[in-house]
Amino acid sequence: MKTHILTLTLSFIFCLTARAELKWEQTAVELHPARGDKQAIGHYKYQNVGKTPVHFKSVHASCGCTAAQSQKDQVGPGEKGEITATFNIGDRTGTQVKTVTVETDEAANQKTVLTLKAIIPQELEISPTFVFWKQGEKPDPKSITVHAGKDFSVKHIKVTSSSPDFQTKVEETGEGQFKVDVHPNETNRLLASTLTIQSENSPKTFYATARITTAPTAPGAPAIQKAPGPLGAPAGPTAPARPPAPGSQTR
Amino acid sequence: MRFSLGNFIWRIVDLIIAAIFIYAGVLKALDPVQLAHDIDHYKILPWTIGVGLAFYLPWLEIFCGLALIFRLFYRGALSILTALVVVFLVATIAAKVRGLDITCGCFGHASQNWSFPAHLALDLGILAALAVLCYCSVARARANASPMPTSS
Amino acid sequence: MKFSLPRQALILAALSLLPGVGQAIYFRDKISWQSPIPPSEMVGADQAREWGDSTIWIDARPDNEFARDHVPGAILLNEDRWNELLPQFLAVWSPGKKVVVYCSAQSCDLAREVAERLRKEAQLPDVFVLEGGWEAWVKKNR
Repeated sequence: MKTHILTLTLSFIFCLTARAELKWEQTAVELHPARGDKQAIGHYKYQNVGKTPVHFKSVHASCGCTAAQSQKDQVGPGEKGEITATFNIGDRTGTQVKTVTVETDEAANQKTVLTLKAIIPQELEISPTFVFWKQGEKPDPKSITVHAGKDFSVKHIKVTSSSPDFQTKVEETGEGQFKVDVHPNETNRLLASTLTIQSENSPKTFYATARITTAPTAPGAPAIQKAPGPLGAPAGPTAPARPPAPGSQTR
Repeated sequence: MRFSLGNFIWRIVDLIIAAIFIYAGVLKALDPVQLAHDIDHYKILPWTIGVGLAFYLPWLEIFCGLALIFRLFYRGALSILTALVVVFLVATIAAKVRGLDITCGCFGHASQNWSFPAHLALDLGILAALAVLCYCSVARARANASPMPTSS
Repeated sequence: MKFSLPRQALILAALSLLPGVGQAIYFRDKISWQSPIPPSEMVGADQAREWGDSTIWIDARPDNEFARDHVPGAILLNEDRWNELLPQFLAVWSPGKKVVVYCSAQSCDLAREVAERLRKEAQLPDVFVLEGGWEAWVKKNR
C-alpha cells in the first residue's frame, strides 16, 4: 500500500515537472497597477530547452481588452524570448483575470494558457450607481452608499449633481463610509442627472446616475408629454444625462 | 481498551483533524456555486471538472471527517484524507514553482486571502497529523493481531 | 464485518457521491455545467426576439467590433468606456425592460462581466447574457 502511494505521488510530481520544449519562467502573472494607470503589462519569459526550433502558430488573448505579442515567430534551441500581454484597464474595477493562449508546433504541449491577473485599486465603492424614480412616483430620497476601498483612507467626499433638478445630501455613516441621499424636485418630467463623486484628496472622479424613467405603460394608454431636459435638449429616453454642468453641489 | 496517554492523544488528534476537514467541507458545501467559480478563477481545470469537484469534494471531506470521529471505515478515511492533502500540497508547490499564484482554497472562499506560506504550513501540519494517525492505526492493528503473552 | 482498506475508501467515496449529486440537482438552476453563466441568466436568441420591444440589446465588445457590425438598435456598453457609455444606456432603460448582453461567442467573458456589473452596480433586474453570443444571433438572423 505504501509503495502504491509513493508511486502515485512520484508520478504526479513527475507529470507536473515534465517539461515540453518551451520552458516558461512563469505562466501566471499578478499585477497591481497604480491608481490612474491606463494599462497593466505582463511579461512571460520562456526558453527553448529542446533540440528543435519551436514555431509559434498563434498568440491570442481571451478578450479585445488585452493585446498579446510575441517577440519572435520562431525560437531556436537554447534561445530565450518573451510574450507581452498588455491589458487595457479602461473603466474596469476589482480583480480582472485575462488569459492569453499560445499555440506552438511542439509535439508534447501545443497549447499553453498564460494568465494575467490585475488587481485594480478602487478608491471608492459606490452602490448602487443608478437610482431612478418612475414618472409620477413620489420624489422620496433614495440612498447611495459610498465607502472607501481597501487600502484607501477617505475622510470626506464631494458630490455634485449635473442638474439642479436633483438635490443631494451627504452623511458620514462611519470611518470611510458615506450615505448620499438623492431626490428629484419633481417626477413629472423625464429628468436625468450625473452625480460626480470625488474624495477630497484625489483627482479621480466616480459617477452615479439619477433619472426619472417612463413608467411601464398599459397597452392603449396615451403617451406622456415630454418636457425639455435640463440643458434644453429634448428629454426622454434618447437624452442621456450630460457630463457635470453647474448644478447643485453639496458636501 | 485500557486508558493510556497514547490512546488519549491519538483520539484528540483524530478529533482535531476530523473537525478541520468537516469545517472545511461544510464551508465549501454551503456555497458550491462560489467554489466552482473559485476553482475556475485559476484557469487550471476545465469548467465542467471544476463544477464536479465543487459538488463532490466538500462531501468527501465531511464523510471522511465523520468516519474519523465515529471510527467507521477509519483506515479508508485516513487514506483518502492523506491522498487529498498530498495532492493539494504537491499541486500547490508545483504551481508556485511554475509561477502560478494558487492558494489552495481549502476553506473555500474564506481562505482565499491567506498567504502561500500560511496554506503550506497548514497543509504540512495536517499531513503530519495524518501520518501520526496512520502510524497509530497500524501499530494498534499489529498489537491486536499479535497473541497475548500467556503466564506460566 | 471488516472491510479491507480499498473497500472502505471506495464505500466512503461512493457515499460522498450521494449528497454531491443531490446538491448538483438542487443547484441546477444556479449553475451550468457547460458555462460559468447560470441558466437563469442566459437567454437564447429566439426567446430574446420574442420579447420584442421590451428588449434592450447591449453590445459588450470593443468599439471597433461594434462599429463593424452589431445587432440593429444595440447599444454599445463595454468596460473600456463604462463611465461614458453607461448613462447612454440608462437613458433608454426603464422598469420592465429586459436587457440582453452579448459579445463574441459563448467563450467570451465580456458579456458576462458587463451583465454582472449591471446587476451588481446599477442593480438592474432582468439582465441576461445571449447564449452563443454575436455568432448565434448572426446565425439566426442573417
